Amino acid sequence: MRSLKRSMGKMLNESKLAEMRCEERELMTSNSQYIPEQKKKRVIAPILSLVIPGSGQMVLKKTWRGVTVFIVTLILSFLVQWGFSNFAIGEIAVGGLKTSWLWIPLALFWLWNVLDAYLLSIQKTAPPLLAFIFAAVVLYTIAWVVTDVNLDRLVTRFDAAKTVMTKVVNPDYIQVYKDGKFEVCGWNCIGDYLDAKIKGESVPHLRVSENVGDIFGRQGTVTATWWDKLFRGIRVGVRIPGFETGKLIETIAIGLMATIFSTILAIPVSFLAAHNIMSHVPGGKVVYYIVRTLLNVVRAVDTVVWGLLIIVWVGLGSFAGVIALTIHSIAALAKLYSEEIEHIDPGPVEAIEATGGNFLQVIRYAVIPQIIPSFLSYTLLRWDINMRSATVIGFVAGGGIGFFVLETIRIGGYQQYAAALWAVAVVIILVDMISSKWRNKILEDKPKAPDKTTWSRIRTWIYIILGLAVFTYCWNITGINPKNLFNPGVTFGRLLKDFVSLDLSQSVLAGVTKQMITTVMQALLATTLGALVAIPFSFLAAKNLTGKSKFSAWIYHITRSIFNILRSIEALLYVAIFVYWVGIGPFAGMLALAITTFALIGKLFSEAIENIDTGPIEAVNATGANKLQMIMYAVVPQIVPPFLSYLIYQWDINIRMATIIGFAGGGGIGLTLNSYFGSLQYHKAGTVVAMIVIVVALLDFTSAKIREKFV
Amino acid sequence: MLIVKDLVKTYPNGTQALKGVNFQVDDGEFLAVIGLSGSGKSTLLRCINRLIEPTSGTILWNDIDITAAKGKEIRMIRRQIGMVFQQFNLVKRSSVYNNVMSGRLGYVPTFPSLLQSFSREDRERAANNLAMVGLEDKAHVRADSLSGGQQQRVGIARALMQEPKIILADEPVASLDPVLAHSILKYLEQLNKERGITVLCSLHFLDLVHRYATRAIALKDGLVVFEGLPSEIDDAQFKEIYGQDAERIEIS
Repeated sequence: MRSLKRSMGKMLNESKLAEMRCEERELMTSNSQYIPEQKKKRVIAPILSLVIPGSGQMVLKKTWRGVTVFIVTLILSFLVQWGFSNFAIGEIAVGGLKTSWLWIPLALFWLWNVLDAYLLSIQKTAPPLLAFIFAAVVLYTIAWVVTDVNLDRLVTRFDAAKTVMTKVVNPDYIQVYKDGKFEVCGWNCIGDYLDAKIKGESVPHLRVSENVGDIFGRQGTVTATWWDKLFRGIRVGVRIPGFETGKLIETIAIGLMATIFSTILAIPVSFLAAHNIMSHVPGGKVVYYIVRTLLNVVRAVDTVVWGLLIIVWVGLGSFAGVIALTIHSIAALAKLYSEEIEHIDPGPVEAIEATGGNFLQVIRYAVIPQIIPSFLSYTLLRWDINMRSATVIGFVAGGGIGFFVLETIRIGGYQQYAAALWAVAVVIILVDMISSKWRNKILEDKPKAPDKTTWSRIRTWIYIILGLAVFTYCWNITGINPKNLFNPGVTFGRLLKDFVSLDLSQSVLAGVTKQMITTVMQALLATTLGALVAIPFSFLAAKNLTGKSKFSAWIYHITRSIFNILRSIEALLYVAIFVYWVGIGPFAGMLALAITTFALIGKLFSEAIENIDTGPIEAVNATGANKLQMIMYAVVPQIVPPFLSYLIYQWDINIRMATIIGFAGGGGIGLTLNSYFGSLQYHKAGTVVAMIVIVVALLDFTSAKIREKFV
Repeated sequence: MLIVKDLVKTYPNGTQALKGVNFQVDDGEFLAVIGLSGSGKSTLLRCINRLIEPTSGTILWNDIDITAAKGKEIRMIRRQIGMVFQQFNLVKRSSVYNNVMSGRLGYVPTFPSLLQSFSREDRERAANNLAMVGLEDKAHVRADSLSGGQQQRVGIARALMQEPKIILADEPVASLDPVLAHSILKYLEQLNKERGITVLCSLHFLDLVHRYATRAIALKDGLVVFEGLPSEIDDAQFKEIYGQDAERIEIS
């Protein structure tokens, strides 16, 4: 927050400086010798921009502005043309000639650019807001059509929404015996039961539903492991009575195992991707660039997409899920770790070098002790993320609760689906709480008194034994079998071969481009919609604004809880609800993304509001302003930069999410990818993945640049 | 004897930190290096143990050419030259003992050192050196729980683990309260007088130079502008070194 404030201050200073420079120049232009040069540019720059947008700006040394204008014009023109020929977007007839009215805002954008070039030549600028509006008209019109937004469906099929929501809030945990069969006992039925119980009337016959067993686990038969052999002398592989773990427990195990494996593997990789380490090693620079690129490529492909590849390798099951999560997690962790290594205090490194220590000793004594807390905290953060991914990996890998959800949706069992959803929410909220509490404690990094008592030693051993027991248990229930790694599925060889030789034929490219644009547009609409709804709510969830009365405290807690519950469920799991409501397709996927966007943005925004400087609030209050005035004058100016930054961050997340939303019927590129994989068309699947990597990397780069410039 | 000849350092960004520095130091001297910030003091000290690569010139130490040493030779030279830093450069999260022990790394085989396994002699050496700077009871606390003055004493103990013939001290008291400056410099003086360790110490305050140094050199814009006894620095010399606007101030 402090750095944000600093950068805002810097921006202010810079704009003042720019103003001063302008005045200086104006003074200079009044000096006769500058006039010819200036006049020439005043004529040339707008003409250049009229021919090639942005070129005038570039001539006037506003390279960044010029390049942006050029690229935006290029993209917008492509989109208008593409939208017209594929979807007839904005079709109008002008004197018998069919064309798109979207060329009008584009032309206005073009004119704005000419005006901008002229104004720049006389030391002024055209208002960027106008350019944003013209570009937004084009983008949102196209986004509206390609994501198949049908607002009327939201209304006409509202009954369906009511049906599905009733089912979602009445999960199938308990069943009641009625008219000769068991049926799901919702909250009403539980109320009736308690009512009858209190009144002493005869109570309805209840039972715990099958679902609970599927989700949490039940007494049944299990396959004996070396564990049973060791302690009970039973041969490995024999079926014995025992506790069958439910899908939720399996999910927790998948997330845990992937976190452990990826941490161990990411540590060595992170050293290879740390600039300050590799520049000390001969040939290290080359390794650094290769590893960095590789990490970015691996990270751009979502965990679920990795799942598709992995099941061809080791087959369906939790093991595939663990591998998919591990791969994506290694890349993400190694990147964070390596950045942490690059930001260590160089003092101790210098000191150890000065004692005559060699390279390995420098790493051991100056680098490793410094990075331990941040590594631990990133691992915990990743554990949180992995637990969320573990809930959806089952959609393709066939392990964990995702698989269960997919099954329930297939048979239309929305109350069973709801049972899974609520269970996931509880687990993820718990994980989120533990992980963030623990992280805060680690990052405080308080020096502890050395603890060498016998009790502390015993405690350490208890932790180690408990840890090993949990590890072994998770290893068993996730069915980890390293042998399978060397015994790949029959089509795996073909996958590897075909995957690198992409299918670049015209028809495939056109199809993939169409789906990719849909995906990006879904993310755009979801981010906009989610954020618009989140903004008013975020003010309600900011402690410093809601005040101290009992009523506002309630509002605060309720809003925060809504954010937390909605946030705990992945967008992929929400799709089913919207598919029921508005039908299969990109619209449903977009709405699901908007829900998670609403929750995350709402949380981030409200925290941004809580972190503002209280000085200005005090000052505005002191003038006798009312609450709304106070917000307008003291709060809003402070929160615009962090809001923008979070929006861009969310847009990044949403693009990645949108690439997989199709697996659940949410449209976009995920659907294409799934069907190519399903029909073993690996050439084409390779094209899709390559497209995802390129687009995600490009947008990543762009959003990083935008954040640098504006926030 | 340490002889510095025509030492030049130009940084990649074009800054000329040293423009041809010449001086020598006899064994057992306490040489103060003075000059304004940016005059090249830190660069000079770091060239002597090759933490910074000089652009040209030679540094001879008892007939060894430090500037010509490569790879392992550099480390063999470094381990005989202790260094004390302005920011202490301790690993804040590690224990005092581990920080002190890290001074011995140039002498011990790599593999055991990676597992933090040190010989009994080295462990005794660490205990003695901690006792010497009066921190024997702090061995197992974390470095960042000590005060600034104590941290710098740990830095000295670390340098002593090297059994150095020279100690390079780069503004060792600049990050400390003035009252603590004497306590740190007294340790360096003691090592210089009792063990005959040559000390090269960059300092800011002239009265500290008068009090502790046996000889002084002054740098200005990367050149030596004064070389002689501390007492020889008169007002005219002072203005020459620090510029016309400078005022002499004293710390108690």
